Amino acid sequence: MNILLSILFVLFPPENKIKINNPWMRPSSEKMATALYFVIENQSEKADTLFQVDSDLAEKVEIHETYSEGDMMGMRKVDFVVIGGKSLFELKPGAHHIMLMKLKKNINDGDKGEFVLHFKQAGEIKITAMAKK
Amino acid sequence: MTKIFSILLTITFLLSISCKEKLPLDKDLTKKSYNLIDQDNNEVVFPEIIKGHIIVMGFIYTHCPDICPMTTHNMYLIEKELKNEGITNVKFVALSFDPDRDTPDVLKKFAEVRELDFKSWTLLTGEKTTVNDLLKRFDVKAIKTDESIDEDGNSEYSMMHTDRISLVDENSILRKNYKGSTINIEEIVKDIKILED
Repeated sequence: MNILLSILFVLFPPENKIKINNPWMRPSSEKMATALYFVIENQSEKADTLFQVDSDLAEKVEIHETYSEGDMMGMRKVDFVVIGGKSLFELKPGAHHIMLMKLKKNINDGDKGEFVLHFKQAGEIKITAMAKK
Repeated sequence: MTKIFSILLTITFLLSISCKEKLPLDKDLTKKSYNLIDQDNNEVVFPEIIKGHIIVMGFIYTHCPDICPMTTHNMYLIEKELKNEGITNVKFVALSFDPDRDTPDVLKKFAEVRELDFKSWTLLTGEKTTVNDLLKRFDVKAIKTDESIDEDGNSEYSMMHTDRISLVDENSILRKNYKGSTINIEEIVKDIKILED
């Protein structure tokens, strides 16, 4: 039965219901930090959760949110973000973002980086983001 | 003739009031001097280094991944727009409120990777007490958050800070503050034109 399911999985892979649109990151220099942004489009009826992001570009990668208190701005780590069924979730400047800490090399305008996004339902999704100002 | 002269005088007076309303601040920065260091490790004195120029001044720390790069990028866009309009007497200054980590070398790399032009840009750091004094002059606050020690024993932290770009006139008078990360580029360019007139 398992073999049959595996064959079916290979022949007819399930369509990924999570789409990642417009990934980009800001240029930054080695040992410093930068942010990765993208739009998550959940085409499924069910909610999904982004809980981890991996990349070889940085020593540490975390999901963060920017928040304000009066005229002060701060940033804090969040464990996950939930993307409702049939909805969009935008990681964008001044809001949620993927924080890349202790970059292993300079990221210049036009450079590309690869990332693996981990979702509870959709599993691993690989993306490539370009650096732009 | 006297009547026409009076009307013109009144219009001029009203226009000058209207300009002042658009630039609400009038804080003289020349009353105290601050010894700082620029991105090339030169000792500089603020506000002497900005004298005679209109200044767009941003407040940043280089470990910031989101807000401060937005502020820096907005300053870059302001510079681009001013160039398009043929306005050249404007300088750009970024003061770090994290002098412990933002050494001149770090500031220089931060600027280089963003292709900032050192002919018009100066990045400043300095002794912590001096920097904090100058930040107070601009009513900018910055506090460490989420501090921890990494595997190499280095302090790691974020900063909660005022989101600010300031406009300073040629006489080193602070004239207006804006939210750095979401500043309206058209608005500040318009304000700079008022200062130029």
